Amino acid sequence: MNAGRYKQIRALFLGAMELPKARQQEYLRTACPDADLVAEVLAMLEEDEPDDSLLDGMARAAREIFAQPPPVLAMPGQFGPYRLGKLLGEGGMGVVYLATRDDIGSQAAIKILREAWLSPVRRDRFLAEQKTLAQLNHPAIARIYDADTSADGTPWFAMEYVDGAPLTTYVAEPKFSIDGRLRLFRSVCEAVQFAHGHAVIHRDLKPSNILVTAAGDVKLLDFGIAKQLGSSGQPPVETRTGLRLMTPAYAAPEQIRGEQVGIHTDVYALGVILYELLTDRLPFDLSALSLGEAERLILEREPERPSVMAGSAGSRGARRADLGKAAWADLDVLCLTAMRKDPQRRYRSVDALIRDVDHYLSGRPLDARPDKLGYRLGKFVRRNRRAVSATSAAGLAFAVMGVYFTARLETARNTAVAAVARMQRVQQFMLNLFEGGDKQSGPAAGLRVSTIIDRGVKQAQSLRAEPEVQAELYLTLGSLYEKMGNLAQADTLLQSSLDRRRSLLGSDHLETGQSLVALGLLRAEQARLDEAETLVRRGLETIERARPRDAGATAEATAALGKVLTSRGSYAKAVPLLEQAVALQSRGAPTLDLAGTLKDLSDTQFYAGHYDACEALTRRALAIHRDFVGDRHPLVADDLINLGAVQFQRGRYGDAERLYRQALAINEPWYGEDNPETASTLSMLGRAIVFQGRYDEGLALSERALAIQEHVYGPNSPRVANVLNELGTVALQRNQFDDAEARFRRMAEIYKSAYGEHHYLYALALANVASVYLAEKQYARAEPMFRDAVRRYSEALSPEDMNTAIAQVKLGRTLVGEKRYAEAEGHTMAGYKILIKQTSPTVSWIQTALKDLTVIYEALGQPEKASEFRVLEGAKAKEPAGGGK
Amino acid sequence: MEARRVLDEFFSATYKELCRLAFTVKGNAPSVTLSPTALVHEAWLKLAKSPQVAVTSRLHFKRIAARAMREVLVEAARRRNAQKRGVGVILLTLDDSNDISGSPEQDVLALDEALQELARLEPHHAALVEYRFFGGLEFGEIASALGVSEATVFREWRVARAWLKQRLGQPR
Repeated sequence: MNAGRYKQIRALFLGAMELPKARQQEYLRTACPDADLVAEVLAMLEEDEPDDSLLDGMARAAREIFAQPPPVLAMPGQFGPYRLGKLLGEGGMGVVYLATRDDIGSQAAIKILREAWLSPVRRDRFLAEQKTLAQLNHPAIARIYDADTSADGTPWFAMEYVDGAPLTTYVAEPKFSIDGRLRLFRSVCEAVQFAHGHAVIHRDLKPSNILVTAAGDVKLLDFGIAKQLGSSGQPPVETRTGLRLMTPAYAAPEQIRGEQVGIHTDVYALGVILYELLTDRLPFDLSALSLGEAERLILEREPERPSVMAGSAGSRGARRADLGKAAWADLDVLCLTAMRKDPQRRYRSVDALIRDVDHYLSGRPLDARPDKLGYRLGKFVRRNRRAVSATSAAGLAFAVMGVYFTARLETARNTAVAAVARMQRVQQFMLNLFEGGDKQSGPAAGLRVSTIIDRGVKQAQSLRAEPEVQAELYLTLGSLYEKMGNLAQADTLLQSSLDRRRSLLGSDHLETGQSLVALGLLRAEQARLDEAETLVRRGLETIERARPRDAGATAEATAALGKVLTSRGSYAKAVPLLEQAVALQSRGAPTLDLAGTLKDLSDTQFYAGHYDACEALTRRALAIHRDFVGDRHPLVADDLINLGAVQFQRGRYGDAERLYRQALAINEPWYGEDNPETASTLSMLGRAIVFQGRYDEGLALSERALAIQEHVYGPNSPRVANVLNELGTVALQRNQFDDAEARFRRMAEIYKSAYGEHHYLYALALANVASVYLAEKQYARAEPMFRDAVRRYSEALSPEDMNTAIAQVKLGRTLVGEKRYAEAEGHTMAGYKILIKQTSPTVSWIQTALKDLTVIYEALGQPEKASEFRVLEGAKAKEPAGGGK
Repeated sequence: MEARRVLDEFFSATYKELCRLAFTVKGNAPSVTLSPTALVHEAWLKLAKSPQVAVTSRLHFKRIAARAMREVLVEAARRRNAQKRGVGVILLTLDDSNDISGSPEQDVLALDEALQELARLEPHHAALVEYRFFGGLEFGEIASALGVSEATVFREWRVARAWLKQRLGQPR
């Protein structure tokens, strides 16, 4: 038939079709002489029925065709040097076959573009995948070998053949723990991150595109719809429509909405894959839904938490029980942060996701901020209860948080009627701080604690309508500032807290008492020790009056008083108070609070030179800490450090070294290499090694510690001064007098500028410089400096203080060197009398004093007195130059 | 040229979406009633939100989708046909396929062949059938697409339908 004939047929049909059937034939014969044509039109008119049978028939045919499984495509046997084998898979664009290269006998996977004729865009996209693969040379990404076009114009390429199972199938074996699954997941993330590093986003990540070999190696496949970021060649339209090819279950909301995709799109898909790995299910069950419904679900519904899904029926139930509640809470956050609907609130990069996987695997807190109330707080409380008071003043801010939250929340819990509501208010407030308040900023990877506290103060200031909560928060935030060394701001806040409580609750209220105690502890930190003692005593009295039977509150305040007295050097008075607090807290099962007080008491016993008592107390604290936080927590490291210090004082430097090393093995991975806690442990270890005569090895460690402190706190920080003290002491020990003097002088300058001339630490530095002169036998230079030190100590601390006593003994020794025995007698004797009251006779300073007194009395012609002290003099002890621990 | 490229891309996306939809049918219950028209409708729902589809009219989309749907159906029929006959090539010569006439695959392939012939004879009629069969367009829609009255469309449709039925009813 030709077009002209069809035209005729059409005209005849149109003319006849409205006529009654009987008249059609007559009409046609009249209109057309061609009998064949008339017959044809008549036959057509027979088919002209009002029913839609043809349409219905086609619909039925379509249904039948679609209802059958898609067939396996047969292909010509040879592509380039490759002979096709079995079909490996069919994707949206192409088919993949296993192929053998007969000439070299190697295997490959061949991907062939189907229906290349359909549109040039398909061909372009196929070539883009080749290019993408060619630039991604990574062990976990299938490599491309070869590419060409077959004789009939079909493009193909050969790539690495991966003999493996899809990720989810691979982990289906029961041997795969959650941790094992996470490690595999991490490898997947690394490969994706590598692609991102090459500006390639995958856009179609799903378990079937991720194979795991028998050796456990991950391989990422199918960059078929991957996108080159920032490439100018492809118009934006293409980016979006390409997404339409994606598997809906793993599609990010922005992909469904047809919005711009990016790194965050892959992060989302990784989140879904993680979800599946953790729960053995997809976050959304799309199977019974129409496409529209499925999309709405993905756009609008929040997925159930993995921890809940992992325990539900249909999931391999044992999985849920593998891990504790806290671990699951972390996994929930990890997974749901990656899967947030808003791309801006997901992990900002796959790297950030990997970091949190690592945090999880090493048991550290995640960077991601939780959505759920109570999560972050719980995390800190679990990890770091009492951590601050347990660690020294150099405590890392993060470790600080938990303690004070707990302490303050417990305080809130103990208060009367409005307690519950208020506690929730405070809790919510704290969580808001961690939330950051800024929904646009995404997970805060490096949110500094100081920033959090500053923000908290601002928010607390606005809570004028809730003065009680405000007072509570000021107390908490003030204590945090104090632990971070920001004493001025701590002062303002703690003072405000006290003032508010006085006017709101009266002077006799429990909480007013607690504010008094907190302010007192700050005064001790500020070295305003008289005020400190007064405040804490008043606080303790108030608490005891307000709540005579509240053992917890009384114990806390009693321990605080013990600590203040310890910092005054009044160890003899501090010990019974701390013992009383220990006794109060020992009722019932051991708690972390008890361990904290035990540690305070052991510190006091240490300063007092009662090393056996110190060791026993520390071991008690250590047992409790291990019970609560496991073996690898900084609280445990602190106890090990204290045990090491005891051994050091006993002169068992090898034992000390062993204990310090154990502590370092905990602190270094926990805090990181460039951290003050690590530095402080390094510095103590260095000293223990130096004292065993391995000077270079030990000094190297101390120098490293110094570099860290200088880097973290700046060259003029008191923390740097502490390390300088160590280094100076070692130099003095090695008779490197110039070095020692330089270190001590720098230390003095730092203390002077940080604390002022009237601080006892400035006196300590000056006394150490004097000790160098003493060792050099430059008595004339040493003498005035020691006199100066005695005066400063007496003013800053008290005439009865240990440090005053030690300076007196040293001044005495200087005068002995100058053979001024009569003058020496008074100073040495004064120092000795203080020391003997406060410390055990084995302390090196007492040994020094006894020895000098023997010499003095012999020189003064009093042999009876001399032999009296000679008897008292025990085994010789080493004499470190620095005072205090 | 750019318009051509966009259309090409749009067609490709629609085609892929229809393929995907068609493949999803296979796992469902045998009672499923998915016709070409229903598939196009689903594809529209799915693609309507994508930006460059949004600027086209529903009608324009349906016309493009009708073409894509025809390709999808014919391709599916070809492959299944080839599989049934055990022939190791993708493209099947229609002349060889008489022995399994009457199968749904054959019905589709025959219709496609007839439409190709009709397109040669009267492109407007071929388009009309394509819109109606594969795109589910109403007569009113086709009328506005072709710029004629609805009555005209219906009359032309009757001609084309009759020709096709007659053509398909003949042994070839």
